[in-house]
Amino acid sequence: MRTPPFNLHLPTTVSEAVQISAELRAEGRETDWIAGGTDLLPNYKWHLNTKSDVISLARIEGITSVSMTEIGAMARLSEIADGGEAHPLIAAAARKVASSLIRNSATLGGNICLDTRCFWFNQGEDWRSSIDWCLKCDCGTGADCRVIVNQNELCVATYQADLAPNLMVLGAAIHLAGPEGERSLPICEFFKLDGMTRNVLREGEMVVKVTLPDEVGQWQGEYQKLRLRESWDFPEAGVAAAWRLGGDGTLAELKVATTALESIPRLHDQEVAPIIAAGWSGEESITALAKAIQQTVKPVNNTAFPPNYRKKMTRVMCERALAQLSIN
Amino acid sequence: MAADEHVSMIPAASKVGWSAEVNGRGFGDEIESGAILLDVLRDQVGTLGVKRGCDMGTCGCCTVIIDGVARLSCLTLAGEAEGCEITTVEGLATGHHLAPIQEMFSECGGSQCGFCTPGFLLTSAALLAKNDSPSDSEVKSAIDGNLCRCTGYQQIVESIQAAAEILRSDAKSKDGTAAQMDPHPGLGAGDAGE
Amino acid sequence: MGDEQMKGYRQQPGKLPFKKPGSGGGKPFSELRDLDFIPESLDGRLAQPHGENRHDYLLTGSSIGRRTPMIDDRWKVTGQAKYGDDIRLSGELIGRILRSPHHYAKIRAIDTSVAEALPGVEYVLCGQGHKTLFGVLPVTKDEHALAVEKVRHVGDLVAAVAAVDEATALEALRLIKVDYEVLEPVHDMRKAIDDSEHPIHDRGKYHIGESNVQKRVFQEFGNISAMKDSLATSAAKWKFAGVNHGFTEPHAVVAHWDPSGRLTLYTPQQVPHYLHRALADVLDVPMHQINVYRTFVGGGFGGKSDPFPHEMCAAIMARETGKPVRITFDREEVFWTNRGRHPSLLEMVLHADQQGRISGIETDALIDGGAFASFGHVTTYYNGVLHTAPYEIGAFHYTGARVWTNKPASGAMRGHGAVNSRCAVESGIDDLCDRLQVDPITFRLANLLPPHSTTITGFRVTSIGMRECLERVRDASGWVEKFRKMPLGRGIGIGCGFFISGSGLPIHWDPNKFPHATVHLKVDMDGGVVVHTGAAEIGQGSDTVVAQSVAEVLGLPIEMIRIKSRETDTSPVDLGSYSSRVTFMNANAAISAAMVIRADLLAAAAEITAADEKMLVIGDRRIYVKRDPAVGVSYLEALHKALEDRGALVSSGSYRTPPMGKSHKGAAAGLAPAYSFSAYVAEVEVDMETGQSKVIEVWAAHDCGRALNPLAVEGQIIGSCHMGLGQVLSEEMVYGRTGHLRNANLLEYKIPTVHEMPKVTPIIVESNDPEGPFGAKEAGEGPLLPILPAVVNAIYDASGIRVNELPVTPDRLFRSIEKKIKAEEVDNALQLPNPNLQYSDLQNVVEARALDHGKRDDERQLDVEREPYHNGALFGLDPAIAPEEQTTDWVISLTPDEDYLADPRLAGSAWKHTERRHMGGEN
Repeated sequence: MRTPPFNLHLPTTVSEAVQISAELRAEGRETDWIAGGTDLLPNYKWHLNTKSDVISLARIEGITSVSMTEIGAMARLSEIADGGEAHPLIAAAARKVASSLIRNSATLGGNICLDTRCFWFNQGEDWRSSIDWCLKCDCGTGADCRVIVNQNELCVATYQADLAPNLMVLGAAIHLAGPEGERSLPICEFFKLDGMTRNVLREGEMVVKVTLPDEVGQWQGEYQKLRLRESWDFPEAGVAAAWRLGGDGTLAELKVATTALESIPRLHDQEVAPIIAAGWSGEESITALAKAIQQTVKPVNNTAFPPNYRKKMTRVMCERALAQLSIN
Repeated sequence: MAADEHVSMIPAASKVGWSAEVNGRGFGDEIESGAILLDVLRDQVGTLGVKRGCDMGTCGCCTVIIDGVARLSCLTLAGEAEGCEITTVEGLATGHHLAPIQEMFSECGGSQCGFCTPGFLLTSAALLAKNDSPSDSEVKSAIDGNLCRCTGYQQIVESIQAAAEILRSDAKSKDGTAAQMDPHPGLGAGDAGE
Repeated sequence: MGDEQMKGYRQQPGKLPFKKPGSGGGKPFSELRDLDFIPESLDGRLAQPHGENRHDYLLTGSSIGRRTPMIDDRWKVTGQAKYGDDIRLSGELIGRILRSPHHYAKIRAIDTSVAEALPGVEYVLCGQGHKTLFGVLPVTKDEHALAVEKVRHVGDLVAAVAAVDEATALEALRLIKVDYEVLEPVHDMRKAIDDSEHPIHDRGKYHIGESNVQKRVFQEFGNISAMKDSLATSAAKWKFAGVNHGFTEPHAVVAHWDPSGRLTLYTPQQVPHYLHRALADVLDVPMHQINVYRTFVGGGFGGKSDPFPHEMCAAIMARETGKPVRITFDREEVFWTNRGRHPSLLEMVLHADQQGRISGIETDALIDGGAFASFGHVTTYYNGVLHTAPYEIGAFHYTGARVWTNKPASGAMRGHGAVNSRCAVESGIDDLCDRLQVDPITFRLANLLPPHSTTITGFRVTSIGMRECLERVRDASGWVEKFRKMPLGRGIGIGCGFFISGSGLPIHWDPNKFPHATVHLKVDMDGGVVVHTGAAEIGQGSDTVVAQSVAEVLGLPIEMIRIKSRETDTSPVDLGSYSSRVTFMNANAAISAAMVIRADLLAAAAEITAADEKMLVIGDRRIYVKRDPAVGVSYLEALHKALEDRGALVSSGSYRTPPMGKSHKGAAAGLAPAYSFSAYVAEVEVDMETGQSKVIEVWAAHDCGRALNPLAVEGQIIGSCHMGLGQVLSEEMVYGRTGHLRNANLLEYKIPTVHEMPKVTPIIVESNDPEGPFGAKEAGEGPLLPILPAVVNAIYDASGIRVNELPVTPDRLFRSIEKKIKAEEVDNALQLPNPNLQYSDLQNVVEARALDHGKRDDERQLDVEREPYHNGALFGLDPAIAPEEQTTDWVISLTPDEDYLADPRLAGSAWKHTERRHMGGEN
């Protein structure tokens, strides 16, 4: 497999990176960021939305930190998983990403910005030509979406990254840098419900780091990942839950988020709120919440497992993620 | 990219200078700017022990050690590895002395067809360099990015544990030379060598 | 060491240092024979529970039975092993293939002019100029170097480019314009049975109707009318997904024509000889102008055992350009080349009678061949005949059909043709036992054919270690305490296997007197032995087993043996690495060749020592009088004497199969000089809420006759478990609603990772085959068979779900669990009932018979004067006479009658067509 040729740029600071990107675009060229490369390069080898210029973040200093409250965009997943500094929930989720070798390269920023996936899309160029192309990649051809046919507007490719729902339930903020300066926003607001647009990153804007609230240490959590094999596989559905117990040991706050079910990860405050409002009753509440979340997610048929199964498993995983709260 | 507006595969004429320390020797050449490390190692450096199995990060046959970390060379940009120390399977042995991990893969049946073997050896070497007493589950976690279709992994795990044992006894002996293997075992000279 | 000790022929063994030349590897001293490896019958200490073997007297204790690392491992662990893509010749061109974007289309025109004009492009090849058909089987040649008139699946080869580099070649492919006329494709194998406007191939007068049926088989053996009068019947309809070999090395080839006009083709091939023949046909040059060079093979499993179109393309483009051409596949192309296990629809009906005998097996197998024939002719037979043992059965009815569809071609894959039907039959037996309420291991033990018997279809079976396999896995796994006794979600299951150890007939039987395997030996002046063999080392250890065999007979350390097996120029013809034939046939040939040298050495030693030749034995590099080891000569002395007397020591040995089998059409399919047997117990955990199954532990007993290299046998057993686990739980070539192969990559084609692999306890059973080399049989494919049924039976034990669709992915099992929740009217999966076992009266009957037959088999194994035993004796017939010769109730029928055709099963309905030549008219 061979990527189309591209120029690689290796800036050493965030501002240099942003500047290179701006300059290249001013010349009418297109750019991509490359962090760990474990998502971008397979896509490039498949000739999926390749660009003339790729800006590597590997040499940029100061964006690899890992601590309880801050993780740099270029922190490797292996460091997050096994370094002992990250929040236990984030570390556990990172450990479940792909394989040990992938984690040695893959980064926090890359995982958050993981391209959405679809079995009509993640294929070689020859293969895509055999289905007469795909909406997400081959726009110039007027190709239709192959998942939901006769609608060539919305891409329904699935967001299959593991870390985002865990960052969401811990209340993370994401920090971006771009030609118009830096900005921060809650990670829940980072994603956009379209398999092609994916997130709110503007042209030339990059992820710098993620921060977690100071009191994140008081939160515990659990991440359940549905997959066929314990290595390599992307989540077919994922449920992250985090909670804070009050001084009396009762549930004070609860957050649940899901991934791999739609084009974006989703925080389920809407489903959690009424259950909490009704008073937490342990197992019964869990059952009700799991059911509510199952009903709200809308997987489509573009990953390995069929969507109805993934939907049903969302409930089971939700129950298992919350199992520790069953007696309360 | 559609067929009629595709990006040309022909690279621009200009190349960039590149150098790295491959198996202890400096190497320098001109490479394409966006070159993938696996391609550079196979086609330019000539370390053909680095294998291309899937080219997409899901088999581990192309694993090399970059500055002490086992990495998939098929998903690493050569440009990012510039100036690094790179170890391929060709760099594991010391002269004619095989490293314990190489010796044990042979001894314990860790290698059948051998195509995945270089990747496994490098992943294992990186593990053992950090931890010479891994549990079986630590070994399995370390090699879960390497695919083997022949062995069913069991004899690979045994090979790694046997090598770990040699390393531990090496570390105990003062001069560290105790477990040096016969440099000229003459095993199985055959077509293999041609 | 004083010079005195070196003089004369009275020397203390063990004290003789070797001087150059003739040191012989790392061991400086000669040793006596290791009696632990010499049989008891020859005064050694090696037990012979299954009697003596014709090769016993050749044992020297040097290598056979020892855990021996592969002799080519050092190349592999140092990265110096050269696989297909590692062959780099100076001035090479890079070849790439243009592939079809359509499932099925006519090629109207190909315009290569723009591609040819691209700087750096040296040649663009299309199919029109190369119309010679080839294929691995001479009866079904249906492949071209490149598509000629039609493309038959997405990924079919349309054109090829050779260019100065890969980028240029890829760019050129995109500049080739192909004008297609799209045809209606067939994806569903059931529809392929019907007549079609455009059958995928045209077989002329042999075409079956106007359909896409490539091969059909009808077979009935035994007492058909009696079988349905049964106490219990198990019937199931199975669906098996296609699976791919998943070897790690993609196909790659380098072709180079030298200045004398000879072609050397470097390729990772399992069957260099068949490729050699095909190349000669397609290139229209004699075979002696072609040298097929087998590189290291990065996994084969049957997937590199066809002559391939890309090999032809490389050879043709290298000839046209005068430069070496290298073609290496992407993983996607590997999946499009496929030749993996056939997607299959199987119906399996089993009958058991009042005495707990298997009174009938009815099998209907429709197999999806994809776009080409490959090995499919044989696969169609194997799906039937390879499950007629190890059990004695009352009747066997088989209908099989292989159809062409517009998919990548299916072919031979480890366990060729036997895997799916074996899974169905072993699961069916489990179901029968459940219905009969008897223990499934006891039931099997009560229905085994004895050693040295003939199966219902006429296979001559020699050694059988089935009983021991079953008993040992039962004991090792704690079966009695666990079976039907574990909580919901945890289960244990048994499965057995039976597989050929080499195919009785060669694929090319023109002329049919050629040996199957030939080995040449040449002994150097300093005692090193060069072995020339054409057996294809593909990582299974074929070089090693040949080296071991020679080393054993000559009493040499294995380091002194050098194997030359790579080139057809220097190797005698060997048919290749398929059908688990290499150890059996090639080691036998190697032993024969070594026996010639051995005789020369013994004669020389006898002459030097004046000892009676019959009294001499061979130890470690020393030939001496057995009762007085001090009288003897070193190997080198004997060798030099022999060289002086006779000139160069060279020899040749070969192996050919004995005459076997019945004479009906198709009788040769499944015939083998020996068969392997295996029994596995698997323990699984099923997550009842998610449908996820995890195999916890496997106890795997395999009868390989004699383990020549236990390390390699165990490696094959464990590796087979891994591959079989993939097929049963996760691997599947997924063809979506549009017929496109959805997962042509190793991320979505889900081969088990190290985490999915259970602990496997390999148990080697040695039944001592009378014709195998030192008693050995195969261990490369048979060990895959039992793991599938063992797992599905364990899933039943754990969950009460009788699986009949593979792979048992979580979503599929979950769907079954949901159905069962409804049927059982319970609230959730955790309330489902567990299968249970309350022994019926029949248990005593089968237990008694199992005990009885155990004694029968032990006696029979050791009785050299044994009478024949034909399948049918269990049903009251005279064991010494073939049943069809004793009674008209037992039939052999090969064509369906009108009754059957009135209501055929799925594959059986292929018989509704008439072959064109029987239609009348101009044919």
